[in-house]
Amino acid sequence: MELSVFDLSKHLGVVPGTIERWVQQGKLPVSKKGTNFKFHTKELEQWAAKHNISLKLSDKRTKEKSQESVIQLSSAVRNGGVYFDIRGNDMKSVLESCIEKISGIPDEFKAELLDRLTERERALSTGIGNGIAIPHPREQLGYLSEPLVSICFLDKPVDYHAVDNQPVWVLFFILCPVLKMHLYLLSALSFCLRDNLFISFLKSKPEPEDLVGKIENLQKANPV
Amino acid sequence: MLMMKNWYKNVYHKLFHLDDRLLLIIAGSVTGVFSGLASVVLRLSLESALKWLHPFQQYWWAFVFPGIGALLSSFYLEKIAREGAGHGVPEVIYSVSRYGGLLRFRSSYSRIISSLLTIGSGGSAGPEAPVVMSGSSIGSSIAKLLGLNDRQRITLVGCGTAGAIASIFNAPIAGLVFAVEVILGEWKFVNIIPIAIAAVAGTEISQAIIPEQVIFNHQMFKVGFYDILPSLCLAVVTALISVLFTKALRQTGKIAKKTPFSLWTRAIIGGCVVGIMGMFMPVVLGEGYHFIQSMISGTFAMGGFIVFLAVFAKIFATAVTLGWGGSGGIFAPCLVIGSLAGIAFHNVMSGLFPSIECASQGAYALLGMTGIISGVMQAPLTGIFLIVEITGGYETILPLIIVSSLSSTMSHYIEPASFYFKELIERGQFLRPGTDARILSDLNISEIIETDYSKVSENMVFREFIELLKNSHQHFFPVIEDNTGEYRGIIQISAIRKYALDPGMYNMIFLNQIMDTEVITASLENDLQEVLDMMDINNMDTIPVVENDWFIGMISKTRILDLYRRELIMQTSV
Amino acid sequence: MNYKLLHIFRNTPFGRETFLQSLYFCKTINAFPVAYIPKSDKFLMYFPNDAVQVDLDHSYLRSPETAKDNAQGLFNEMGIKPMFYEPKNFTASSLPDISTNFDYLCCPRSVSDLSSRIGLGHIGPKVRRIIKHATFPVLITSPVYKPWKSISVFFGGSKNALSALRAGLKISMSSGLPMSIYTLLEKKGESYFRQLIEKNGLEEPVSQFSSQWHFYKKHDFDTLLYDVPHDSLIVLGAYGHGIIKDILLGSKMEHIQSTVTNNLLITGPHCSISLR
Repeated sequence: MELSVFDLSKHLGVVPGTIERWVQQGKLPVSKKGTNFKFHTKELEQWAAKHNISLKLSDKRTKEKSQESVIQLSSAVRNGGVYFDIRGNDMKSVLESCIEKISGIPDEFKAELLDRLTERERALSTGIGNGIAIPHPREQLGYLSEPLVSICFLDKPVDYHAVDNQPVWVLFFILCPVLKMHLYLLSALSFCLRDNLFISFLKSKPEPEDLVGKIENLQKANPV
Repeated sequence: MLMMKNWYKNVYHKLFHLDDRLLLIIAGSVTGVFSGLASVVLRLSLESALKWLHPFQQYWWAFVFPGIGALLSSFYLEKIAREGAGHGVPEVIYSVSRYGGLLRFRSSYSRIISSLLTIGSGGSAGPEAPVVMSGSSIGSSIAKLLGLNDRQRITLVGCGTAGAIASIFNAPIAGLVFAVEVILGEWKFVNIIPIAIAAVAGTEISQAIIPEQVIFNHQMFKVGFYDILPSLCLAVVTALISVLFTKALRQTGKIAKKTPFSLWTRAIIGGCVVGIMGMFMPVVLGEGYHFIQSMISGTFAMGGFIVFLAVFAKIFATAVTLGWGGSGGIFAPCLVIGSLAGIAFHNVMSGLFPSIECASQGAYALLGMTGIISGVMQAPLTGIFLIVEITGGYETILPLIIVSSLSSTMSHYIEPASFYFKELIERGQFLRPGTDARILSDLNISEIIETDYSKVSENMVFREFIELLKNSHQHFFPVIEDNTGEYRGIIQISAIRKYALDPGMYNMIFLNQIMDTEVITASLENDLQEVLDMMDINNMDTIPVVENDWFIGMISKTRILDLYRRELIMQTSV
Repeated sequence: MNYKLLHIFRNTPFGRETFLQSLYFCKTINAFPVAYIPKSDKFLMYFPNDAVQVDLDHSYLRSPETAKDNAQGLFNEMGIKPMFYEPKNFTASSLPDISTNFDYLCCPRSVSDLSSRIGLGHIGPKVRRIIKHATFPVLITSPVYKPWKSISVFFGGSKNALSALRAGLKISMSSGLPMSIYTLLEKKGESYFRQLIEKNGLEEPVSQFSSQWHFYKKHDFDTLLYDVPHDSLIVLGAYGHGIIKDILLGSKMEHIQSTVTNNLLITGPHCSISLR
C-alpha cells in the first residue's frame, strides 16, 4: 500500500511539515514521484522494525471508538415503560411496588435491586424537588441488556425526604448496564425536568405515547 | 526487454534506494579522491611558492612578504571569492549541524587560494583547515549533484574532510577520526564505512602523485618506564599552553576588530609583524613542517631558552596571522608549538635531572604535539592517531595516550569549549545530533502548534459562551475582534471557573470583560528554545501563538513532550 | 491569511520603486511584507538542496542611518504595519542566514548588478538560482512602481506552469482581480490544455476565477506578449534553463522579461502551491 505525506502524518500524529523534514533529513524510507513523496507500508514496517520504532499503520482502531452507541432518552423510556397508580405509603413500599411492576427487570434480581435502591436513598435522597424523584442504583447492572428509564406515577404522593421536602408523586427509574450511559441519561432527564412546561404536562398523567413524543421533542431542542 | 528493465529497476531500487550504503561508499570514495586532489594541489603549490620566494629571503625587506600575502589573501576572500571570512572548520560544523551539511561551492577552492597566499608568503598558519573546508564543500557539492538527503550529505561532507586530512598528512586513520570526532560528532556505522574509504582514497591519491611524501620520517624511539612521570608533567604544560593558544587566537581577532585600521591595512600590519619576527626566529614562519621534521629527528639546532621563547613566538605569530587578516588553519601551528614545547620541556628536564635516563628529544616533541592537538581541539583520539600515524612510531603510544587524555581533560577543565566549538557554543549553534539543543532547533514551531481551536467573538454574551462550553473539549478559547478577526485575548477555562459556575453572571458580562489580555504570546518567528523559556519564566503550560494580530494556535507542553520524544527516537535510531 | 513576502530593502530611489511594488503586491493579496535591511553585502539562503549566497552591490548598504526611517515611511504611506526581518543565525560574522520560510520573495531583475544596468537587462544568475531552488514564488518587479489591475497567467502545460496557474488562481482569489490565461499552442491543441487542467482538478477554480483563456499560434509569441495588458501581473513558471540552453538558445523567460515591463511572478520547479 502506498501512503502520501498526509496519510503518514495522520498515522504518526505529526503535521505534514514534520514528515517532509524527516524525508529531507533522510530519516524515512521514501520514494519520489515527481515532487510528491510516497511511502510504501512494507518499507516503512521494515524500517520501523530495523530501528525498533513502534509504528501503527492500521487506522481502524481510531474509528471504532467514536462509534460508541449513545441511547436516546426517549428510547430508554420506551424500553422502561410508563406505569400509573403505584401504591404505597412510604418510600420503601413505593419502590417495592414499582420494581414489582417494571417488566424489564428479571425476577431473580428484583430483591437485590430494591436493596440497592433503598441503600442509595438512605445515603442521599434522589428527590430533586417539585415532587419528582429519580431513584437509581450506584452500581451498574450487568444483567440488563439495555438501559431502562421507567416512569412511575404514584397513586398518592409520599414523603421522600426530597430536597424541598415536598411529597413525591412521580418516580423516574434509571437502570443501566453501563455507568457511562447512566450519566448521559441522567443529564438528559434533568434537562427535561428543568422545563416547567414539561412538569405541568407530567402532572396531567399523559398517555405513554404522548410522553415519549414530548421527550423526543425536548431532545431535539437540546442535542448533546 | 521489459523484463530486463524491470529487473534493472528492481536491483537499482534494492541497491541504492532501500539501502544507501553502496551509494554512499561510491560517492564517498569519489569525494575522497577529489578532496585528496585538493590537498595535493595545495601542498605542491605551497612547496613551489617556498622555492620561488626562497632566493629573496636573505634581503632585509623580506619581512613584507607575509604582509603582502595576507593582504592579497584577504582581498581575494573579501572581494573576489566574497566569502564571509571565517576560520573554516566551525563553519563546516555549523552547516553540518544546522543545515544538513549544505556548503557553498565556492568554498571548495577559495580557501585553498587564500591560504596559499597567506602561508606561501610566510604567514604562520596551517593548510589543513582550508583543505578540510574545500574537501567538505566538495562532498557537499557532490551530494547536491546527486540530490541526496541531509543524512547522506553529512556523510559525504565527512568523507571530504577525512579525504583531505588523510591526504595532507598521509594518515588515513587520523582523517577518519578527525572527521567523526570533530566534524560529525557521532559514531555511527553508516557513517564510518564511507568515511574510512574516503580517507583511504585521499591517501592513495596523495601517495600516487607525491610518492616520497611521508611528511615526517619514521624514527625509532625508546620510551621507557621512566618517561611516564615526565609525560604527566608535559601533559599539564601542554594543556596550559593550549589554553593560552586558544585565548590568544580569540583575543587577537577581537583586538584587530577594535583597531581603527581598515581590513587591508590590518592584513599588512599583521603580516609584517609576523615577517619581522620571522627574521629573527624563522621557526614561526609558514606551516613549519620542515621544522617539525628536524625536531623529531633530533637535528633541531636551537638551544635551551630560545626554544622556550619560540613556543610563545609561534603562538603570537599564529594569532596575529589569523586574527589580522590571514587565512588558514591552526592544525600545523599546533604541531609546531607542540614539538617546540616538547623540546623545551625535555631541555628543562635534562637540565634539572641530568641523571635520568629518559627518551630522546624527538620523542618529547611527539608527545608535545599530541598534547597541544588534543588540548586545543579537545579531540584526544585525533591527537593520538595523527601523531602515531604521521610518525609511524607505535613505540610511543602509551605515553601518547596519557598525554593526550590528560591534556584534553585539563584544558577542558579550564576552558570547556575547544577552539573549533567555542564560537558555535557562544552563538548557541553547537548542535550535536541527539542533544537537547539539536532537537529543539530541529523541531519547528509550526510543527508543534495545535491549530484546531474554535475562536469566539469578543462581543459574545457569557451565556452563549457557557452553552458553547458544554459541547467543547477546548481548555482555551481565543477571543477575536468581530470584523477583522484580530486576536484580542484568551479565555482559560480554569481561570473563569468561578464565573462559569455562577448563573447570575451569565447575562451580565461579555467575553471582552472576562478574557485575559495579559497572556504572553509567542510568534512563529520564535524558535522552540525561546518559547520554552517564555513558558518557564511565566510558569505556563500552554502558550498562544499569535502572528500579525492573528491567532494561529496553542503550544502545550504535553504536545512538546510527545514530539520531542519522537524526534529523539528519530535522531538517535537512524 | 498569513502570507509573508520578504523584501530586501535598498535605500535608493530605485529601491523605493521596487519596495513600493512589493507593498502594493502585499496590499492587494493581503499578505504581510517583511523588509530586510542588509547590514553586510552578502547573505546566505539555505534551500532544501542548496545554499545560495547572494552578493549585494554597495547600493544596498548606502546610507544605513536613514534606511529604516525611509522604509518605515513607505510602509506608512501604503498603510501597512512595518515589519523588519532580523537574521538570527550567522554562518560567519558577516554572512547572515536569511530564512527561506517565506511565501514570496521580491527580487529586482538582478540582485548584484548596478541599478544603472538593470533596466530590462538579463535576469541575474543569482536570481535564477533562487528561482531554481525556492519553495516560494519570486516576484520580479518592474523598474518603476506600477500598480496592476489584473492577472495574466502564461500557461504552457509544464509542471512549473501548473504551479504558476495555481499561484495565479490564489492571487486572484485573495485579491478579487480578474485573471486571464495565455497559452501558446506549439504542438498540442486547445483540448489538450483543457484536459490537463481537468486532470489536475483545476477546472472548477479556473472557470470561476479566470475570465478568459487566449490561445495563440506557434509564431505569435510576440503578439501574445503585446496582448497582455500593460497593467497586469504576469504569473509564469520558470522555463527550463540548463547551461546549454542559456548559452545556445537563450531562454524564453529571458525573452519575456526583456520584452515586457510588467511585474513578473515566477514559480520555480520546487514551488508547491496549494489552493487551500
